[in-house]
Amino acid sequence: MPTLYQAYGLTISSEIDLPELPQLSGLAQPADLSITRDPTLTSAPTGDEWVQLSPYAWTTPTAFMLFVPDVAWFLIEGGRTIRVAPIGGIDMASVRVFLLGSAIGALLFQRGFLVLHGNAVDMGDACMLCLGVSGAGKSTLAAAFSARGYNVLADDVVAVNADGQALPGIPRIKIWRDAAERLALSTGSLDRIRPQMEKFNLPLPKTLVSAPRPVKWVFLLGKHEKPDFELTHLNGIARFGPLMANTYRRRFMEGMDLNADHLAQCGRFAGLVHMAQVRRPDAGFDIDGLVDLLLEDMSKVPVA
Amino acid sequence: MTQQGLSWLASYPKSGNTWFRVVLSAYLDGGESEVDLNALQTGMIGSSRLWVDDVAGFDTADLTPAEIERLRPHVYRWSALHDGMGGYHKIHDAYLYNDAGEPIVDPVATSGAVYLLRNPLDVAPSFAAHLGVDIDRAIKLMSSPNASLSRNDKGLNPQMMQRMGTWSSHVESWVDATEIACHVLRYEDMHATPQQSFAAAFAALGLTVDHEKLARAISLAAFDKLSHQEKSGGFRERPSKAKQFFRSGQMGGWRKSLTTDQVVRIVADHGAVMKRFGYLDAHGEPV
Repeated sequence: MPTLYQAYGLTISSEIDLPELPQLSGLAQPADLSITRDPTLTSAPTGDEWVQLSPYAWTTPTAFMLFVPDVAWFLIEGGRTIRVAPIGGIDMASVRVFLLGSAIGALLFQRGFLVLHGNAVDMGDACMLCLGVSGAGKSTLAAAFSARGYNVLADDVVAVNADGQALPGIPRIKIWRDAAERLALSTGSLDRIRPQMEKFNLPLPKTLVSAPRPVKWVFLLGKHEKPDFELTHLNGIARFGPLMANTYRRRFMEGMDLNADHLAQCGRFAGLVHMAQVRRPDAGFDIDGLVDLLLEDMSKVPVA
Repeated sequence: MTQQGLSWLASYPKSGNTWFRVVLSAYLDGGESEVDLNALQTGMIGSSRLWVDDVAGFDTADLTPAEIERLRPHVYRWSALHDGMGGYHKIHDAYLYNDAGEPIVDPVATSGAVYLLRNPLDVAPSFAAHLGVDIDRAIKLMSSPNASLSRNDKGLNPQMMQRMGTWSSHVESWVDATEIACHVLRYEDMHATPQQSFAAAFAALGLTVDHEKLARAISLAAFDKLSHQEKSGGFRERPSKAKQFFRSGQMGGWRKSLTTDQVVRIVADHGAVMKRFGYLDAHGEPV
């Protein structure tokens, strides 16, 4: 029997256990997304309709296939189904890392969302996004907000709807051991995201926040050589480039022929939010100081 | 090797790679305007996480070092053959194979390679400052078969781990690689005969050399200009533990900065390769 879950505003029926997600007890209607196992997926797709986007990804107008070597094959179709073929004796935690990452990201593109690389933190009536490249410190920042009692809506993959609202995603933060130590979080009781890695699933309260939150603030997190934080507001067209640059798996989006929609989405969204570039020292930054800085900046632009 | 594809500027750290890229950048830019250190347009670094993440479509931050090494040749090949990527890319990895037996620097993706080489007696003090460690530690790293850069099992480094091995094995891995043609360029020759040395390396990379333009580019990339620019505007490639990226840039500085014992150790560790590339005379004495 598949188990029922909820994420990104979707009801999910899954043959694969997804302990990271809040469960649902029952559904009146068929689930929005069905995740099944399909051992027949063992090789690259063939057929003229398939366009190869990378050594590991293929797409058609309605389907997307992803191969993570030695881990799994994923076939994502019509924004409604994900079929998964784990490879060999791979552990399911490893499969879930990519299922709840790139595979769900492709599905969110198929469903027409603006999908961004970053996290979303609930500020009450509105939320903030923090975007940036891997290693910028986004997850550490999200964990620091969580430690202050803020609800982290999504980490890594943020889906924004046509009204500029972020959808509650997967209630966990993937956090490295050194970041956990910096935040004085014990990793003793946490599960590793993959057995061989010093990276952990930091669970967040599964409060079943199902309502999308309007995005009011977007912070672009980066690093610089200077010893202090630097916050610069971006206005007008300057907000557009960072949204394009921080699009989740831009290669997928372009390959799926969503460029025109995406440009329009970014343009519309850029007009709805306050945006600032935040640079932090390259090494040894004060994470609490960064939380304070962002809170102070947000307090100057209160929710209307 | 392919006509269109990726060119590699390979070196052990602190061996003139950045200087080479600055001259190349100035040359490609026409040799007309001042070089902006923080906007070098030559290419990326082979160990860039962004590069592999983008092409693979999933995060190297969720992969083990061995898994990442299995992706890299395929990512480079895709970039060269399907994304039409060219460019001149810095790389500090030794020329090594992944556990699937594939060269990490994919020969099919590769159109050319220059290996930049510097006297290890001068590398040691510079490498020590680069890492923020003492010279003895740097000498030990240079003789360690397991030495690597950007290794961090507990956290995320913007760059992927790069296996380097010893200084000697690093040199030999590239210059003796059978799958790719590698032009060897000594740092000392870049200093002694810059016009001739850069011209030969550029030609090996498939560039048609315009000597006047090259002369202008070399002049724009003079060491004191780079050092001055770093002091005034910083250099984004400076490691956080290094006080300054462009330190002295001199040859033979080791005679002042190394103890006799340190010289003896480096020669004992790397004598054969030093001799092969003219850093020891016939009697085994440093030149």
